[in-house]
Amino acid sequence: MPGLALLNAPSILLAAEDGGGGGMHFPPIDHIVKWPAWFGEGTFYEFNKITFISFIAMLVPVILFLIAGRKSKLVPSGLQNVMEVSIDFVEKQVVLPAIGPEGMRYLPMLISMFFFIWIGNIFEVIPSAHMPANARMANPLVLALVAWAMFIGVGVKHNGLGYFKSALFPPGVPKALYILVTPIELLSTFIIRPFSLAVRLFANMLAGHILLVTFAVLCITLWSASVLAGVLVLSFPMLVAFTGFEFMVAFLQAFIFSLLTAVYIGGALHPAH
Amino acid sequence: MLAQVSVLAAEAAESAEKINPVVPDVVGEIFWGAVFFFLLWILMRYVCLPPLLRVRAQRDAQVQADLEAAEAASTQAEQVRRDYDATLAEARGEASRVLEEARAAAEATRGQKVAGVETEIAAERQAAMAELDAERAAALGQLSGDVADLAVAAASKVVQAPLDAASHRSTVDDYVNRSGGPR
Repeated sequence: MPGLALLNAPSILLAAEDGGGGGMHFPPIDHIVKWPAWFGEGTFYEFNKITFISFIAMLVPVILFLIAGRKSKLVPSGLQNVMEVSIDFVEKQVVLPAIGPEGMRYLPMLISMFFFIWIGNIFEVIPSAHMPANARMANPLVLALVAWAMFIGVGVKHNGLGYFKSALFPPGVPKALYILVTPIELLSTFIIRPFSLAVRLFANMLAGHILLVTFAVLCITLWSASVLAGVLVLSFPMLVAFTGFEFMVAFLQAFIFSLLTAVYIGGALHPAH
Repeated sequence: MLAQVSVLAAEAAESAEKINPVVPDVVGEIFWGAVFFFLLWILMRYVCLPPLLRVRAQRDAQVQADLEAAEAASTQAEQVRRDYDATLAEARGEASRVLEEARAAAEATRGQKVAGVETEIAAERQAAMAELDAERAAALGQLSGDVADLAVAAASKVVQAPLDAASHRSTVDDYVNRSGGPR
């Protein structure tokens, strides 16, 4: 099994160095985002490093919440406290502002979304992993489709087919303008929304990943090139700083994705607003 | 250095042409991503979250009950404080009234005693004055008798003839009275 560790990263860099005749060579992008199959190559159940990170992103919150809830006490302490704070965070920062009290029924989905994205992202800065699951389009696409299906389903459930009418033909707009407004609303609400959700998450994580790889390659190359080793004084602190920055981005992107999903659901619940 | 960085950027751009990262090219990642997310959602919904949400709801109820109890206790304490204040004010009023009554009684007693003493003093003074007047009158009577006798004796010495004291006493008394009368 190739393992979670980025054991092939040095070989990528070495290969890059070999191919370039001793200069600094950036590994091809498919080398830093595509991972070999562990099993089922070419099938729909192909399993690789990304799917393993997704598995961890599912497993970790489940284990944490199970341990926290196993002996939950009226006065919380330790892990129970931490997990309750995370519930409160999603409830008070995502659900209530975006949907309102009636959005509490979507709390499990939004907490799942938040943790799945966050833990998937955090692998960007975990030593020996260094790959965010969401720097591949698969997970963002799945989550965006879930959000898309969810807000349309909620809209239809609460407003019937009138949801489409109020979404495509916003009240208060002069009828003549519907020629312009309706196609724009159709595109923005039902087509671009899931796409933008997925691409925002994916592109942010991919950009961060490329940034860290770039500075890592720079540091490794400068380490071996004695004349340029002085530049390490700049490049290595930048690598450390960007690692901290990506730690924040991992959380921020999870929060933004969950919040936007909640906003879309809230908008579908009350389309007139 | 700059040349190397530009080589790096050019290679990155070149490698980007090989794949389109926006298009998911491994179906397994979508499949497993969907499986793991829906599994997480289901487990969160039915297994992981309910115990914590339940205990949180219990805590909220407990906090609410405690708040209501605290509110009731506060109201009760306020009532007790008001009762205490009322009792205190009543006691103060009672004390003030008792003090006033005592003061009035003491004043009355003092007045009575002063009046009694003054009456007594006045009576004693009057008695003393009467006694004094009597003593004075007696002294004056005796003095006038003695003066008359002395004057008659002196006059008899001057005239060298015995004078009748009884017949001249009224003259002497009259003189004494005129010269030693009220001043």
